[in-house]
Amino acid sequence: MTTPRPCNPVTLEIIRGAIRAAQAEMEALIERTAMSAFIREKKDFYTALFDADGVMAVGSNVPVFGDICGPVFRDFPIGTIRDGDLYWYNDCYGSRGAVSHSNDQVFLAPVFVDGQRVAFVMGWAHFADIGGLRPGSISPDATEIFHEGVIIPPTLLIRDGVVNQAALSIFYRNSRYPRTAQGDTRALMASVELGVARMREIAANFGADVLADALAQLLARTRDTVRGRLMETFPVGTHRFTDRIDGDGHGSGALRLRFALTRTPEDRFVLDASETDDQSAGPVNFLMNPDVPGMALGLYFLGGDPTQVVNAGGPRSLDEVILREGSLLQPRFPAALGMRGLTMMRMLAALNGLVSVAGGEAPAAHAAYVIMLLRGTIGGKHFLMSDGLGVGYGARGFADGIDGVYFVAQENYPVEFLETEYPVRLREYGLNIDSGGPGRFRGGCGIVREYEVMAEESILAVRLDGVENPPWGAAGGQSGRPGRVVLNPGLPNERVLKPLSDGNRVVRGDILRIETGGGGGRGHPFDRPAEAVLEDVLGGLVSAASARADYGVVIAGRAIDEAATATLRASRPATRAFHRGSYADALD
Amino acid sequence: MPSTDPLSVAVDIGGTFTDVTLQDAATGRAWTAKTPSTPHDPSEAFQAGVRLALETAREEAGRIGRVLHGTTIATNLILEGKGARTALITTAGFRHVLEIGRQDIPRRANLHAWVKPKRPVPPSRVFEVTERIVADGSVLVPLDEASVTRATEACRESGVTAIAICLLHAFTNAAHERRVAAMLREALPGVAITASVDVLPVVREYERSLAAILNAQVMPAVSTYVERLERRIAEDGIAAPLLLMKSNGGVAGAASIRRAPAVTALSGPAAGVVGARAVAAAAGIPNILTVDIGGTSADICLMKDGTIALTQRGAVGDWPLPLPMLDMVTIGAGGGSIARVTRDGALAVGPESAGAQPGPACYGRGGTLATVTDAHVVLGHLPPSLLGGRMTLDVAAAEDAVRKGVAEPLGLPLHEAARGILAVVDSNMVGALRVVSVERGHDPRDFTLVPFGGAGPLHGCALAAMLGISRVLVPPSPGVLCAQGLLHADMRAEFSRSVLPRQAEDAAALDATFKTLAQEAIAWFEEEAIPPDARATTPVALMRYAGQGAELPVPWRGLDHAAFDFAAAHRALYGFDLPEGRAEIVTLRLEAVGSLPPPAAQALPPGRGAAPIGTHPVHLPGGTADAALHDRAALGAGDRIAGPAIITQLDATTLLPPGWTAEALPSGALLLRRD
Repeated sequence: MTTPRPCNPVTLEIIRGAIRAAQAEMEALIERTAMSAFIREKKDFYTALFDADGVMAVGSNVPVFGDICGPVFRDFPIGTIRDGDLYWYNDCYGSRGAVSHSNDQVFLAPVFVDGQRVAFVMGWAHFADIGGLRPGSISPDATEIFHEGVIIPPTLLIRDGVVNQAALSIFYRNSRYPRTAQGDTRALMASVELGVARMREIAANFGADVLADALAQLLARTRDTVRGRLMETFPVGTHRFTDRIDGDGHGSGALRLRFALTRTPEDRFVLDASETDDQSAGPVNFLMNPDVPGMALGLYFLGGDPTQVVNAGGPRSLDEVILREGSLLQPRFPAALGMRGLTMMRMLAALNGLVSVAGGEAPAAHAAYVIMLLRGTIGGKHFLMSDGLGVGYGARGFADGIDGVYFVAQENYPVEFLETEYPVRLREYGLNIDSGGPGRFRGGCGIVREYEVMAEESILAVRLDGVENPPWGAAGGQSGRPGRVVLNPGLPNERVLKPLSDGNRVVRGDILRIETGGGGGRGHPFDRPAEAVLEDVLGGLVSAASARADYGVVIAGRAIDEAATATLRASRPATRAFHRGSYADALD
Repeated sequence: MPSTDPLSVAVDIGGTFTDVTLQDAATGRAWTAKTPSTPHDPSEAFQAGVRLALETAREEAGRIGRVLHGTTIATNLILEGKGARTALITTAGFRHVLEIGRQDIPRRANLHAWVKPKRPVPPSRVFEVTERIVADGSVLVPLDEASVTRATEACRESGVTAIAICLLHAFTNAAHERRVAAMLREALPGVAITASVDVLPVVREYERSLAAILNAQVMPAVSTYVERLERRIAEDGIAAPLLLMKSNGGVAGAASIRRAPAVTALSGPAAGVVGARAVAAAAGIPNILTVDIGGTSADICLMKDGTIALTQRGAVGDWPLPLPMLDMVTIGAGGGSIARVTRDGALAVGPESAGAQPGPACYGRGGTLATVTDAHVVLGHLPPSLLGGRMTLDVAAAEDAVRKGVAEPLGLPLHEAARGILAVVDSNMVGALRVVSVERGHDPRDFTLVPFGGAGPLHGCALAAMLGISRVLVPPSPGVLCAQGLLHADMRAEFSRSVLPRQAEDAAALDATFKTLAQEAIAWFEEEAIPPDARATTPVALMRYAGQGAELPVPWRGLDHAAFDFAAAHRALYGFDLPEGRAEIVTLRLEAVGSLPPPAAQALPPGRGAAPIGTHPVHLPGGTADAALHDRAALGAGDRIAGPAIITQLDATTLLPPGWTAEALPSGALLLRRD
């Protein structure tokens, strides 16, 4: 019999619940008080809780966080950190990619009880504008991180109740929207303060040693679960998967992410991404913290179990992550990073691909969420509208891919909100018909958003990937169908825009149509029940032509033509393991 | 308006029984009746129960002045997705707004596992009409009536019995929605039609579409139900109007409920909260935290100064429903919640529930999974028989379930495992209690906890201890508090309008909006026949700093005071304000109350000292002790009991741990105090 641990299983569950509640409270505070639409409507903010040594114990369901505390400890040795301190940074290279584009601000505070450090609390949010080349700070035109706004190295923002106002003033002065930056900063600071108070209560209630043991157990539980599922999924040997982004918007052509996951006979798990293509001139470089792939695999393996928490146990389940300096996933300073989102989303798909080649039932690939930034003047006043557009997600072995979502936690701008706040009018907002990859389980459909621009003159940036290399399908399912960006569709001055570009001039009355891509399908499309295909056709998600050509289902009026369908489905096309444009045994 | 006839009758229909309370408002004397529910037609039990109550009281139907009812019909239809087959009509180009929702995967969901909830209307039943109103309310594209005719045909072909209409920016200009509604009503008689502006005339098309759909979807069933009730009431010679409980904690007449039945989505829980308020008021307690613990869920609410606080951020099941409703938090934790150990070794309690069938293992109906109720039985918190002896608990089955389900997998002794289950479920409830208190800027220690529902008083003291609360008030009949709520409810309605940015700084425009709302309120007062001296209205502005996404309700004292009052509210709630920020008004709301005279209070006769009817062993953390067993019905005012004790009554059991004292108050409630 081993000695009982300070924290028993009951207390563990109670502490986990209390931390989740504290997190929810912090998030609610940010959501209700932040000033930028980016945070309050789009909800691009997160919180996390770390143990006394700065190891993430309770994170969020967004697997893009690396080692958050390390960069602060490098400049402020952990022993010098005091009760009441607040630290702040957005320095991507200075944090080895813990933050992966400069718009994301991290606020971090220690929690002390009776002079003992027991935890750290983080608030994180994407700030709408922090200076740089163009309004919104991220631009497809950027070629250096210096084009992407002000860089804040780890900074002591509050000590002994004194706020470093000079640092904040410099930061606000560098934003095109200082008031919004100020409001958002206040919201984040208040939220971290709240989180510290809650963690202090938890530590005081249960005792510092019990809390420490609880956090250690949460880490171990996640690590053991993920490790166990890695073992179930990957036999000894090397498993490889390659995925692509279309390019960097500066003429690069397709860029490849090459992952090799090796399980050694001694059961070491080594993820090697060093064969990934070289870094690029454009801002699609993704400075991937070595913790990120483990975090992402962890999220997949934890599945929907609400008792599990995403934390540093994910990264700890891998024994080694090998990256190559100078590659797309480990670029050299000062390469631009602002549009790393599309590379990051591909990275997540490639990890699913690794599971798939090993015979696991991971989702097919999803499209990378789409952003557009419109900056200009209306009535002499500058405006910045950054709109996020949902895409289709990959089909699962148990369900269709999700239609028309952006990512975890981030919401759209309602039409009625957008039209009240910005000089645009929407002509259409709907799901992009036939964009979901056909399959037994259909890939999710992308989005159509068509704007009429009312501003006298403005400059448009857009980021849409997967046009040349759409999200792959698996197990007989087909790839999603790509999106596009077009100005004045169907009119004499129609112009298809480069999907990753900035500097597009738009004038009053122009119609901008953005169609986003769908996710990959899973399973043979002929195995999809005809009733499901009919419902998709009646709902405007699949055309009758695609129902016939892709699914072998013939629709007459509002019903299935059973005989014709049976005839078509009798001759069943052959499929292979993966599909991107056409079937293949392996993708490259 | 209720007549001056003295009798009120309140009917609460539960899954198993229908409870009827008849009260003489003049004397406060009450009679209750219980009759089996009739799920195929709940109005049968309604009628039977009312007749039974009249017989018991030897009273005449003609002396009834109010018939009050809380209904879960709309709630259940929404939660189970079993409402009428419904179509949605929307602006051309925006057919998929409902399907897309807010374009997010929920923050707490796993993106690999999450499946988007199936909308109450599939995209194949969303039809478009050609029209467009823009943000300032002007018409960009006039309504093409031919397109309405086509949509009407599509609705007819798809065989729907309800239709919701939600057109863009209708909340600033309702003309197109009204015209479409009129055309549909003419072309499709008998089909329930809901225009979004009639339910929720505020910004955000997805949420407004949902409100219109849910309303349309429950309308046929609620209408039929209300008509049946009215017929049965009339059959029995009751002339009084039927008043139904709404989610806002007030009642309203059947006609207004038929128009907007979605306002009854939280009818049941709201009635309980209003009952708790009445119980607290009778005991002279203004600030309460209520926790209503049933079989599968717990509803939690806060009331300060006896005031009902409303939120427009509420939800029913998967769906946001931003109608004004009691600011309540519901969690999946109740007596039937199942405790299990996950494959990864974590102890989880709920949200899965054993429900009524098979129920907890101790009910002996074949349940084998450990529930919260089983944990109580294992620890001796419940007497061996319930419901006045009608039900005997199977202690061995409860022990077996807790041992196999929790104790053995976790390697814990049996009693420790049972305490663990309760600790986890209590801490989940404490989390929700903190959401409504701490998160709203209140210190829970300033409040009295009012636990109710069948399982509430078992948890009251434990929850209070965890929150640092030293007083717990147990209502006279904790299991049937809805009736109390119905008998004490006022009539309530809210009238809201979104404010356009160009009006927000214009005092005259704001006054004009409040005047419009006041006219709507007067029309409602008239319809409900509320006499002028019983009418009251409270103007409220929903405000935020320019740029923020959420609004705070601020009592309206005029534009000159608004920014100041808002900043104060922001500080109180969030701990800071923004002197450099610009406060803006987003929505104006007029809260209308028609007060109904409350029934006279009836005092509990003085006691002669509490005498236990026996003892029962309870397993406390420090060891087993004999708890005194008391019959609640035998207690008189002023009687005191020291813990450990178990106080039983027909509809609930109160657990009084060591260190607590209970006192029966003259109002009939039990006040539990920590020594």
